[in-house]
Amino acid sequence: MSLLELKNIYKIYGDLHALDDVNLKVEKGEWLSIMGPSGSGKSTMMNIIGCMDKPTKGEVLLDGVDIAKESAKNLTTIRRDKIGLIFQQFHLVNYLTAIENVMLAQYYHSVPDEKEALEALDRVGLADRAKHLPSQLSGGEQQRVCVARALINYPEIILADEPTGNLDDANEKIVVDLFHKLHSEGTTLIVVTHDPEVAEVAQRTVYLRNGKLHKETINEHFTGEIKFDK
Amino acid sequence: MFFRMIFGTLFRQWKKMLMIAFTIALGASLATAMLSVMLDVGDKVNQELKTYGANITVVPKENSVVNSLYEVEDGGTAVAYLREDELGKIKTIFWAFNIVDYAPFINTKVSIGGTEADAVGTWFNHHLELPTGEQLDAGVTSMRSWWEVTDGKWLDEQTADNANYAMIGTALAQKLGVKAGDTVHISGSASDADITIAGVFDAGGDEDEKIFMPLDTAQSLGDLDGKIDSIEVSAITTPDNELAVKAAKDPKSLTISQYETWYCTAYASSICYQIQEVITDAVASPVRQVADSEGAILEKTELLMLLITILSLIGAALGICNLVTASVMERSAEIGLMKAIGAQNAAVSGLVLTEIISTAVVGGVVGFFAGWGFAQIIGHTVFGSSIEMRAVVIPLVAVLVLIVTLAGCIPAIRMMLRLSPCEVLHGK
Repeated sequence: MSLLELKNIYKIYGDLHALDDVNLKVEKGEWLSIMGPSGSGKSTMMNIIGCMDKPTKGEVLLDGVDIAKESAKNLTTIRRDKIGLIFQQFHLVNYLTAIENVMLAQYYHSVPDEKEALEALDRVGLADRAKHLPSQLSGGEQQRVCVARALINYPEIILADEPTGNLDDANEKIVVDLFHKLHSEGTTLIVVTHDPEVAEVAQRTVYLRNGKLHKETINEHFTGEIKFDK
Repeated sequence: MFFRMIFGTLFRQWKKMLMIAFTIALGASLATAMLSVMLDVGDKVNQELKTYGANITVVPKENSVVNSLYEVEDGGTAVAYLREDELGKIKTIFWAFNIVDYAPFINTKVSIGGTEADAVGTWFNHHLELPTGEQLDAGVTSMRSWWEVTDGKWLDEQTADNANYAMIGTALAQKLGVKAGDTVHISGSASDADITIAGVFDAGGDEDEKIFMPLDTAQSLGDLDGKIDSIEVSAITTPDNELAVKAAKDPKSLTISQYETWYCTAYASSICYQIQEVITDAVASPVRQVADSEGAILEKTELLMLLITILSLIGAALGICNLVTASVMERSAEIGLMKAIGAQNAAVSGLVLTEIISTAVVGGVVGFFAGWGFAQIIGHTVFGSSIEMRAVVIPLVAVLVLIVTLAGCIPAIRMMLRLSPCEVLHGK
């Protein structure tokens, strides 16, 4: 059984089909990239996979449970327990320090544990910046705090929306390397991106166009390491 | 973590929180001031109305029947008298402390230098030492505060030779051609006396044609020792309600519990009833005009206070509503993030409510003390005395502040509950 399976997913806003009969399977431990131009339905798909939205039609099976039929309250619980979210805009709470931002995810999941939060920051190379506020961190560092926050509760899937969209090349490499490390540890990664170089490091890439799954490519030379040709 | 977030928000949004606290303080101060005045205004208005005279009259039962039968209000021929020696008992009834003043009256016909006149014996500033240990100066000096002494001064009953003095109405003084300091020869049905005019007063009514003298003097002139025609009582009363009206008609129609409630409430009718219990063969009745005015003024004043309180609280709720909604909108990304990482609606609502209630507590406490100050300003400006802070105001204001704060938060909470994380995080 796949970890995630989308069956005949539609998301319709009036006359607009943001997702139009999308079928997709993601296996446990897989690294998948979702690519497509603006308005192709990438974010809609991410919202549905991330339990932040429901499809108009179709089934979304996460660990065999159809999350499309769950209540908003249950979706929050599923999201809290199974999904780690990484955003393009980082979305850190600006009055909390780096470690407190990580602990925030723990707080809503179970019990905040400072030691564990510090270990998570250490995994992203920011243990020494734990007491810094987001405004005192660079973009790359903020995104790494966001990664630490996403992985603190040991989610089954890490869902990243344009994780390198606001980063320079150096920070982009750091973040992709982090993904590679997480993947090698068995974490399932779904990365929505515009950037072909970020997409191509994944094991598999699906391309969306006008809400439909346009094509799918397998990276036969998968190493998980980014190569810069820019 | 919870308190870190609360402090973070309070510190980060201190300007907005200060505005919320100020709004709450404003509402709480007005509520405190109005409630304090409202709860104390009964006594204040009653005290104020005491200057308009007695609100209860006591007459002999027999005279009351005759007066009612012939629709005579005053000046009818007395066929029975009250006993002077029972006057002290008025201050022994259940509501004794509500009796603020009283005066007995005895009317007798006299001849002053050949001119027929009505003489009235009464207390001016009669000193009473009650069996309870209470001391009281009672009489017309305070109960006829509207008398204007145009010549001379008020008769001081506590001086040694008070019996030889009297106060005369302007009309009678003019008729007799006398002024303060003059001595007139007065002939009563039983004896004569030479009386010095202590003062000439203008009462603006029938009393201007009478001469007022100490009770003993009038009694000896008319051979009425120990007798009085009527007693005027000034009492602090509670405005009548249905129970009081029912009891005034017939106290026997009340159930035991109704009777106890009525008896133990300072209605004019229950005070009258208790006076009748201690004065032999007497009928005590409220002076309707004054009693009704007291009730009406009190009700209107209280209604006004209540309306101001309600309006101020509605205003505060609207202010809080705008400020909290603006705060939530400003923090929508943060709230969306919390929801995205697993915060349930209850947790997010709890966080925002705790922030606002913490602010409300500060605003409420400041507002309470400011309101107490406003109440004192109102008390001194309107009533010329301070307003007593009733203990009940504190929980009442606390509950009202809580209700207003929660009511003001409802739109923001509704907005927060509807907030979808994907909408704010992806700008959808």
